[in-house]
Amino acid sequence: MKHSLHQPRERATILTMYPGYLSFREGVKDGFPICVGYFPTAMAFGLVCRKDGLRLWEAALFSLTNFAGSGQFLAESLLVGGAMLTELVISVALVNLRYLFMGAAIKARLEETGNLRKFFIAFGTTDEVFSVSTMKESTLNGRYMAGLQIISYLGWCSGTIVGFIIGSFLPVALQLAVGVTLYAMFSSLLAGAYLREGAWMLCIAAISAVMNSLLVVLADIGKGWAFVISMLTATGIGALRPSRVQEES
Amino acid sequence: MSHGIPIVVYILASALATLIVRLIPFFGKRLGATTPFLDRCMHLLPVAAIGALVFPGAITDFQARWYAGLLGVLAAFLVGMKKLPMIASIAISIVVTYLVLVA
Repeated sequence: MKHSLHQPRERATILTMYPGYLSFREGVKDGFPICVGYFPTAMAFGLVCRKDGLRLWEAALFSLTNFAGSGQFLAESLLVGGAMLTELVISVALVNLRYLFMGAAIKARLEETGNLRKFFIAFGTTDEVFSVSTMKESTLNGRYMAGLQIISYLGWCSGTIVGFIIGSFLPVALQLAVGVTLYAMFSSLLAGAYLREGAWMLCIAAISAVMNSLLVVLADIGKGWAFVISMLTATGIGALRPSRVQEES
Repeated sequence: MSHGIPIVVYILASALATLIVRLIPFFGKRLGATTPFLDRCMHLLPVAAIGALVFPGAITDFQARWYAGLLGVLAAFLVGMKKLPMIASIAISIVVTYLVLVA
């Protein structure tokens, strides 16, 4: 009993001593927009599963175990289209190739963490979780990542089930408008990077945006490849310019 | 539909293919030493990713009314510049996109 009385106070002390220390609650707060954005996308996934003759538990299992937007849509369409198992595994791994780089960037900002926590952080790596967490100025920790990822995961899984059961209940225009949520979140994160580090950030984002658009729309190469090529090229070009911090030192 | 293999095997195989890619950077051995160039790459990767995460999706998702997504993204950026909370950016962006779609 004595221990449980002292614990909250100790935690409060830690939080006051290190104002930049990110808490579970802050993770939940930051993850809320992701949850809101995932819900309609996952509903669409649930609906597609039902149309294609999958059962509710199969659609739910997809989201519970995969937790990946484009990878899941691809796997489902390959499965329904009668693809071989090896074809599905290779295609899904290629579409998810970007997580190699995103995971490395999260890990570089993460404080020393136990293996079990690292496992869950790795499992919960998505485009949105990556963008929100790596844009934080503080060092990342297991608690913050848990808050961020759990709320995102809940949005994704519950959306799939709701979408499967009741389909789309929103008017088409509103449904499309809600679809802008995740784009708006990225755009707002970019504004923050611009305010902190200047117009060079906008140039880097623009290079990758233009390149990805050209590769997807004109060259018609796979989305997974287009994304990785655009992201890495823009990163490489951006890194050719010495950072301000290094110039000053 | 699935060559006699139960659907659940496909679902779990897809999950495993995703998980392995996600685990590698967290548990794989680091290759070589870092250089200032690689450090800068790690720092810039999120911003570079954002460009490709938004475009062309924000335009192609809205098909004929492609400008609705574009204006929504622009609205979110401008609100973000005012240092308002992200949820304000998103709410205003949804309203702008909706109004353009129904106009």
